[in-house]
Amino acid sequence: MRHDLFLLGALLATTAAWAGEPGTALKNDSLRAEPYGDAKAVGSLNRGDKVDILAKQGAWLQVKAGKTTGWVRLLSIKRGSSSGGSEAAGVLALASGRAGTGQVVSTTGVRGLNEEALKSAKFNDADIQLLDTSAVSADDARQFAATGGLAARRLDYLPEPKGGAQ
Amino acid sequence: MRGLLLALLLVVSLPAMAFDLGKTLGGKSLKIGKTSKTEEIRIGREIAGNLLGAAPLVMDAELQKYVNRVGLWVALQSERPDLPWRFGVIDSSDLNAFAAPGGYVLITKGLYRTLNSEAELAGVLAHEIAHVVKKHHLKLLQKQQLLDAGAGLLGEQVGKDSDSVRKLIGSGAEICARSLDKGAEYEADRMGVILAARAGYDPYGLPEVLQAIGHAGRDDGRVALLFKTHPHPDDRLAKLGEAVGDRLDGVKDGKMLRERLYKMKE
Repeated sequence: MRHDLFLLGALLATTAAWAGEPGTALKNDSLRAEPYGDAKAVGSLNRGDKVDILAKQGAWLQVKAGKTTGWVRLLSIKRGSSSGGSEAAGVLALASGRAGTGQVVSTTGVRGLNEEALKSAKFNDADIQLLDTSAVSADDARQFAATGGLAARRLDYLPEPKGGAQ
Repeated sequence: MRGLLLALLLVVSLPAMAFDLGKTLGGKSLKIGKTSKTEEIRIGREIAGNLLGAAPLVMDAELQKYVNRVGLWVALQSERPDLPWRFGVIDSSDLNAFAAPGGYVLITKGLYRTLNSEAELAGVLAHEIAHVVKKHHLKLLQKQQLLDAGAGLLGEQVGKDSDSVRKLIGSGAEICARSLDKGAEYEADRMGVILAARAGYDPYGLPEVLQAIGHAGRDDGRVALLFKTHPHPDDRLAKLGEAVGDRLDGVKDGKMLRERLYKMKE
């Protein structure tokens, strides 16, 4: 019964943004029977594996990878259909510095915030003052948080993962 | 780059030159921990003002007030709650957000429009807040200053008056077009997730935005600068995933506040 309620909750928590979408594994990870770190592993994903996203529950996604269905942490999955090879090629190009140069194609027809625009920018005195007038007091912010049901909690920063910045 | 910097540092520190960097700068050299808060804010204000010259604030007082409330609430959870934090939405269709020393945080209208919840806004602002808290841009300026010192451009007092600030930050808001090292971006991601969670939000707002940005095509001009100055969103997500692991398993009641996200008028 509890289990059914839980499953129902999982279904209700499913957001349209995730369910029914394809995804790609960003790293090697385990597929688990339930959305918990200590739940039984029912399979594994390798980086680059394609999955179908079935549901989202908190920080977990229920995915179908091949014939196996299981839960995986959502940070392990890149959402959406990517044409695998070209996406990977893109990342590689970026890493080697080949992408991101030259390709400044504005799709909007508006000049973007590119290097040139930033370099030639002149101090906007009126707007920096406007920025000041939009500032709020700490009490205002606290009140605003309380209205939204936001409660501050203690939490340590995440240590840098082993293997360093690269 | 690092090698060059080291080489310059060696040259600068040669005893035979009897060369005191701090002295040459009139005691105002931009050393981390030595730049006063007042100077830091002055530097940031100049950068933010120049950035506003490239893209002015969106003329929607309610929107600006809203991002200040979310932003300050998140900043209050940081180690520097007492900075004069300023948040703003700027009129650009680019997908980007910027931080300047002293507590200035600006997000583009383009990026704001992709957001689906207040938790996502909090996550984006938290990433920028982390840059300010860790003084990442101040350190970048310091590095640049040392390079300039090597090139013989020393002699200005730094951060003392607007002329010296202008000399320090260079032309316009060009510092906003420069990359921090990757480690600083990953660090800001790790801190951003935690700052948002400390503020009571769902910690996965920032990763959700990274997912959305990752979908922008490489030929999409709206992400040209962001992709140039940051690691690819896929790499950022993967790094974040490694860092988070099971550490946020206990954080279950974070709020998304989808319905409270302020809808832009135009």
